[in-house]
Amino acid sequence: MNSTAILIAAAYGAVVIAGLVVAVLLAISTRGRRPTDPRRLAERERAWLFVVIAVLLALLFATIWFTPYGHGSTNGDVIVNVRAQQFAWTLRPSIVPAHKRIEFRLTSADVNHDFGIYDDRGHFVAQAQVMPGKAQILVHTFTRAGRYQILCLEFCGPGHALMQGSFEVTRS
Amino acid sequence: MTPELRERARSLTLRYVVASTVILLASGFLGLVLRSSQAGYGRVGDNAWYAMMTAHGLGAFLGWAGFAVMGFAWWIFAELDIPLRRVGSALAGLTWWLMVVGVAGVLVTTLGMHFAGSWVFLYPLPFYSASQWSETATALFAASVLLVGLSIVTWCLAVLDTVIGPALHAVSPRILNRLGVALGFGYVWPKRYATNPEPVPYAVIPLTVIAIDMIIATLPLAALLVEMIVQAITPSVTVDPLLAKNILWWFGHPVVYLLLFPAAAIYYYLVPRLAGRELVAGNVIAIAWTIAVIANVLVWAHHVYIDYPQGSVQADINVAMQPTTFALVIPSALSLYSLGFTIYRSDFRWNAAGTALFLGLVSWLLAGLSGIVNATIAFDKVVHNTLWIVGHFHHMALLNIGLLIFGAIYAFLPDLTGKPLWSEALAKWHVWLTFLFGTLNSALWLVQGLEGAPRRFAVLPGRYEGLAKAAVPVVAVLGLAQVLFVVNMVQTLRGAGRVSVEERRARRPVAAAEAAFTLVALGFAALLGVVGFVVGRESVSKQTTTVIASAPTTAAAVKPGGPGDPVAGKTVFASAGCSACHTLAAAGATGMVGPNLDQRKPVYAVVIDRVTHGKRAMPSFAGQLSEEQIKDVAAFVSGAAGSR
Repeated sequence: MNSTAILIAAAYGAVVIAGLVVAVLLAISTRGRRPTDPRRLAERERAWLFVVIAVLLALLFATIWFTPYGHGSTNGDVIVNVRAQQFAWTLRPSIVPAHKRIEFRLTSADVNHDFGIYDDRGHFVAQAQVMPGKAQILVHTFTRAGRYQILCLEFCGPGHALMQGSFEVTRS
Repeated sequence: MTPELRERARSLTLRYVVASTVILLASGFLGLVLRSSQAGYGRVGDNAWYAMMTAHGLGAFLGWAGFAVMGFAWWIFAELDIPLRRVGSALAGLTWWLMVVGVAGVLVTTLGMHFAGSWVFLYPLPFYSASQWSETATALFAASVLLVGLSIVTWCLAVLDTVIGPALHAVSPRILNRLGVALGFGYVWPKRYATNPEPVPYAVIPLTVIAIDMIIATLPLAALLVEMIVQAITPSVTVDPLLAKNILWWFGHPVVYLLLFPAAAIYYYLVPRLAGRELVAGNVIAIAWTIAVIANVLVWAHHVYIDYPQGSVQADINVAMQPTTFALVIPSALSLYSLGFTIYRSDFRWNAAGTALFLGLVSWLLAGLSGIVNATIAFDKVVHNTLWIVGHFHHMALLNIGLLIFGAIYAFLPDLTGKPLWSEALAKWHVWLTFLFGTLNSALWLVQGLEGAPRRFAVLPGRYEGLAKAAVPVVAVLGLAQVLFVVNMVQTLRGAGRVSVEERRARRPVAAAEAAFTLVALGFAALLGVVGFVVGRESVSKQTTTVIASAPTTAAAVKPGGPGDPVAGKTVFASAGCSACHTLAAAGATGMVGPNLDQRKPVYAVVIDRVTHGKRAMPSFAGQLSEEQIKDVAAFVSGAAGSR
């Protein structure tokens, strides 16, 4: 599994367990019929609002720096022109060195595609959409030599699942 | 409210509930076929799979979940003593017809005419069908979705007409002020948005919010659909694909809340009723819904986080939409707080309806949390277009919205039919099985997505096969659970529950008329389906004939034979992606999109011509392959075709 995916799995797994515990406690609370003051609970909703906003702001600031576009995301050391069409990928060149910034210049001849890169273990590496009439750039530095697989990740027609390709990363 | 108006609301709601349940069965069955085909059991052809996926998505999302909560809005209004007025009532009736005919049209154009552009029909894909469906199918599909879109607009207008009426007790006669009252502004500015004597019921607020937003969200999509119809007739008319994508999601995100916000209204009404106390909510919930009405139409680009073409402002729009999407967490978080504490230490009724609503709220929380992952660009770049997304929205639509719909049916069906629920025990089985197996169903997708499994693949890469197969029994149980639901619902409608004979006799004529009307209407829709299927079959077979007839003509014009290395050609065949579309045993190719080369046995010159110039869906490879490579691949194909 991709390292970001492991992080997501751990974080989501933890909040799911916490959520289920809260749900069970809530269900149990209806058994005893102990008195409670709904008005006080309603007033505390304001405090909850601030908790939610604080958590969201923290998540925003922790993650926004990892956005894959914006400053410094272009200008690779090696340029690879990628042309997508129903249902094939054409890469020039199709052999690239490891530890260099590879700049994939993505174009499509027909419909929307999504350039999805997987390594030789089948782990997801990176992706970027490819749109007809526009050019999009994906920059990635490969640390592992080997044959990489390309899958199309945007539904592009009846041959979508068959639209696969590959390229080679060599120990420079 | 007069008995006539209550009767009108009752009959409208029942009609929406019955029709949406029929659509649930149809689209649920398609889901079962899709999942088992993907796992390798009873595999269907690739285009058929994508056509079913298109029908399943639109059918389940709008025809079932959307349609059902739209219908319950009428009953919530009735329970709150807010009658539909003349215009609203007429529009509510029209909404039902537009939705039923629209969904029937989607079924016809996908299952009958093979349109398989997916339920988001990402422009310009509908016009690049690889000869699998006709432009007529595209035009009729767009027209069907347009009807569904119009039904959403008429529903919104009916809701707005209702909430600006006198029943909310707004002091001001001005329409804008009354709209503010319906949005809950009175909780924040009690003098400006005064009501006498009672404040607006909380359930009205989310209905008003979505009625405003869906009009704003749907009109641009309607324009795009009209463009698609025009383009199908006049191919020179086109749209910028990036603009089209933004228009699609401008509609595509708010439409999620066409499910969630009316669902919130139903929770707001039913949870307090089941808990035996008022909704635990402060004025702050009105602020949350004000945020929602604005943020809802400013979050669409989180569906295109991975699109940032050069020379466009898309990247900036996308970055701006992470915080606005986060803002939309607030109404959900506050709703869950309010509903959770309404249940807390209450005398909550754990009947089938209460259990369904409680488990629906649990699913709202869990699906909301996976939604926050999608909303975060740094995470989305890993899960985008993987099965994680599919897991997330099935969790939200099937479990949060779905369990709410089932709970509302169990709670309201006795009121709507005047008959008791046939079996409370069966209903509880249905609710628990749906929750457990539905959650497991989504969990498998979430795990597969984190492993990088792509969504919308008729056949998944081999490494994802294990979990794909494991999902089949889970989905089968989920499907069987819905049979319990349907049996219970039909028996209740038939009046099989315990009820006095006199009472049953008194209600029979109305119920019979109701059932007859619905059956006739659905029969009409099915008839449309059959007609479309026949028409579709014919138009497609004609198309195929044209292709076969034209092939020899070109072949005769070019001199056969010529140089080229068939061994090198085999490599070219593999690297150029020919096998994605064609079947050719010698190359181990099993593509189903283009002609089967083993059957067609094209001669050398035909291959040269097709590869160089392209034909129909097949692109020209002249810019991609050298003349030598084209000769090689032609030598390989003409020599190898049919040889094994």
